[in-house]
Amino acid sequence: MEVVLARIDDRLIHGQVTVGWSVQLRPDTILLADNAIAADSWQSRVYASSVPPHITVSILSVARAAAVLAEPPAEAERLLLLTGGPSEMAELVRLGAPLRQVNVGGLHFGAGKKEMLPFVYVDQQELKALRRLLDRGVTLTAQQVPGGREFPLELEDLRRMEELF
Amino acid sequence: MIRALVMTHGDLGIELVRVTEMILGPVPGLTGLTNRGKSAPDIVAEVQRWLAAAPTADGSEDLKLILLDDYGGSCSTGAQLACKGDPTTAIISGVNLAMLLGFVTWRESSDFEELAARIVTKGREAITLVGRR
Repeated sequence: MEVVLARIDDRLIHGQVTVGWSVQLRPDTILLADNAIAADSWQSRVYASSVPPHITVSILSVARAAAVLAEPPAEAERLLLLTGGPSEMAELVRLGAPLRQVNVGGLHFGAGKKEMLPFVYVDQQELKALRRLLDRGVTLTAQQVPGGREFPLELEDLRRMEELF
Repeated sequence: MIRALVMTHGDLGIELVRVTEMILGPVPGLTGLTNRGKSAPDIVAEVQRWLAAAPTADGSEDLKLILLDDYGGSCSTGAQLACKGDPTTAIISGVNLAMLLGFVTWRESSDFEELAARIVTKGREAITLVGRR
């Protein structure tokens, strides 16, 4: 199993993932790590139904997803990993998912959030989770779509955001 | 009165509503909505607000159509999650101008199921190879 993209995106499975990135990266499987959706079979079906039929969908709790990701690769499977926020991605890494690079693809505006980039708004919890990812040696890059501008997110960027709160 | 929400990426739906009204005049109960700047939960909440905003003062059943630009995107998922099998709402993807003109033309004269089916047929009929070089 090869993680071809680990992406934080609060729209979860949507066009930028199923068309944009999937055409570019050709994943065999989209793995969504989300506790609430994994616990709700109806929501899981709705999200799974939006994925093209040639891509397998797996929707798991964060703990279960971390266990799957931590297993030694058994086959040459290309996997696109998704979480709805930085906290879930940081938790995956804390639980042993061997991720070296994470794409911050979309965090929309909401109460208590401040703009980091036009497509990345964070609150203090999300900022802390991004910091935890950096602290564990994960490289963070913000990029919405393939071919779009890439923005490295480094410690200095997070510190600058922390000062805004 | 049957209401309709046209929810799309960018301003596509808002513009489709604007153009429909440019052709037919003001259309009560026809609303455009963008997904721009909204997370998945935001989209669900926005659709739920529209579903709850029943304008029917005459006591008739509040029947609703949600028209989407594409199946499988954030609009489509958000609409399904917001409606959760609500029998008073139908969701149709692939919205085009012909479908909205059909909606306005037929909504007073068709029952709900028939209207949804006619709009789907109309939308498909409007997609045609008009000419070849």
